Amino acid sequence: MKQNEIHNNESYLAQWLAGDLTDDQLKTLVSETDFIAYKKLQQGIATFDVLEAPLNNTLNQINKTIDTKRNQKKKPNYWTIAIAASIVLFLGLYTFFDSNNFTSQTGIGQQETLALLDGSEVQLNAKSTLSYDASNWEDARTLSLNGEAYFKVTKGQTFTVNTNNGSVTVLGTQFNVISHDNYFEVTCYEGKVRVTSNSKEHILTPGKSVRLVNGNLETMTLEDNSPTWIHGESTFKSVPLKHVIEALEAQYNINIDASNIDKETIFTGTFTHDSLQLALRTTFDPLKIKYTNEKERIIKLSAN
Amino acid sequence: MIKNLKNLCHKKVFEHVFETYAKDLKRFIFFKTKDADQTEDILQDCFVKLWDNCSNVDYDKVKPYLYKMANNLFLNIVKHNAVKQKHKHNLVKDSTNESPEYLMIEQEFYDKIQRAIANLPEKQREVFLLNRIEKKTYKEIAETLNLSVKAVEKRMHLALKTMREHIGNI
Repeated sequence: MKQNEIHNNESYLAQWLAGDLTDDQLKTLVSETDFIAYKKLQQGIATFDVLEAPLNNTLNQINKTIDTKRNQKKKPNYWTIAIAASIVLFLGLYTFFDSNNFTSQTGIGQQETLALLDGSEVQLNAKSTLSYDASNWEDARTLSLNGEAYFKVTKGQTFTVNTNNGSVTVLGTQFNVISHDNYFEVTCYEGKVRVTSNSKEHILTPGKSVRLVNGNLETMTLEDNSPTWIHGESTFKSVPLKHVIEALEAQYNINIDASNIDKETIFTGTFTHDSLQLALRTTFDPLKIKYTNEKERIIKLSAN
Repeated sequence: MIKNLKNLCHKKVFEHVFETYAKDLKRFIFFKTKDADQTEDILQDCFVKLWDNCSNVDYDKVKPYLYKMANNLFLNIVKHNAVKQKHKHNLVKDSTNESPEYLMIEQEFYDKIQRAIANLPEKQREVFLLNRIEKKTYKEIAETLNLSVKAVEKRMHLALKTMREHIGNI
């Protein structure tokens, strides 16, 4: 660009600021004092550019940083998880090896609901004992029962309940087992249950029940969807009275003296778990058996 | 809604605070650092930290909080640079005064520039602001204002001349 032209069109400062003209070129056009002033002005304008620039980008960047931070907070800290997992594993192994044999026992009038390792559920009725070997659980879902329990078994490996009176084997179902001395009853509510007792086998379908009374195995049909004791009642169908008395004693903290009555009388009926007086009345009134409170917690039965 | 008006954790309130204070705070930081990038970093950090502490900062004390934060962040950089400087003292000769980004401009001088811009004749100011703020080239400004490029350059030339007269001799 020729110097004359620059002079004439009177726009060299604009070109210089835009970078189309070098400092050296400007020096030839203005005085030394002016050049220093323009250099300083250039710096001032650069500052103006910085300080007056719209702040949208800054705000966007801030919001971005805030969002990133928030997401990072949501991200789990893998170290924490690793440590937590180690603790859980350690405690798990500890309990695993420490108490291979798990036992749960209920007292008189107590009921307990247990979750088993595979998610199966056991509801333990009063005065009952349930135990199993936890270390062997994966291979054989086997447990021992003395008393009464209602099982809701998740599908999977064979599930076996051993009792003194026989064993019950299932593959995922709902069933109830009662096993006392000389009394064994299994009721199937869902699925299929195989009952083995005295080397005899019974396959139960829903609504079917099998019981061993005085060495005789008999089958029955019932209408309930789940055992009544779950809902606070005990139901009996043609059961020798002695077992009903045992059930009463298990439910209420009482001793029943039945020496003066026939304990083999067959009983069909229900008693509640809420009221002893009501339970005694519903059990013994239909049989015309008198019950008297001799001492506290001792009830004497006598024929009318 | 009412109770949220002074809640800094509320995004709208937070952004309102940003719009109210960011520009002046940026200026405050810039004349400490004299560096555009550092200014931007500190400015962003101030508001990110304000957001982090939004539940602990009193809305009525947000301005002093921001300025204090900016000052602390600046001092951290100074300390950090001092350490860095100490370590490379013998290796590199400081030559920042030759780089054009390093602006040795004083606040009083900048105030003069601002006044000079504010006092520009309307037509010169219009071109100057479109160029500096809107980042438009002379050609783009010419198209916007329906002028010839030459006319735009002439106005810009005059704007610089007017400003130079305003600031006087240095």
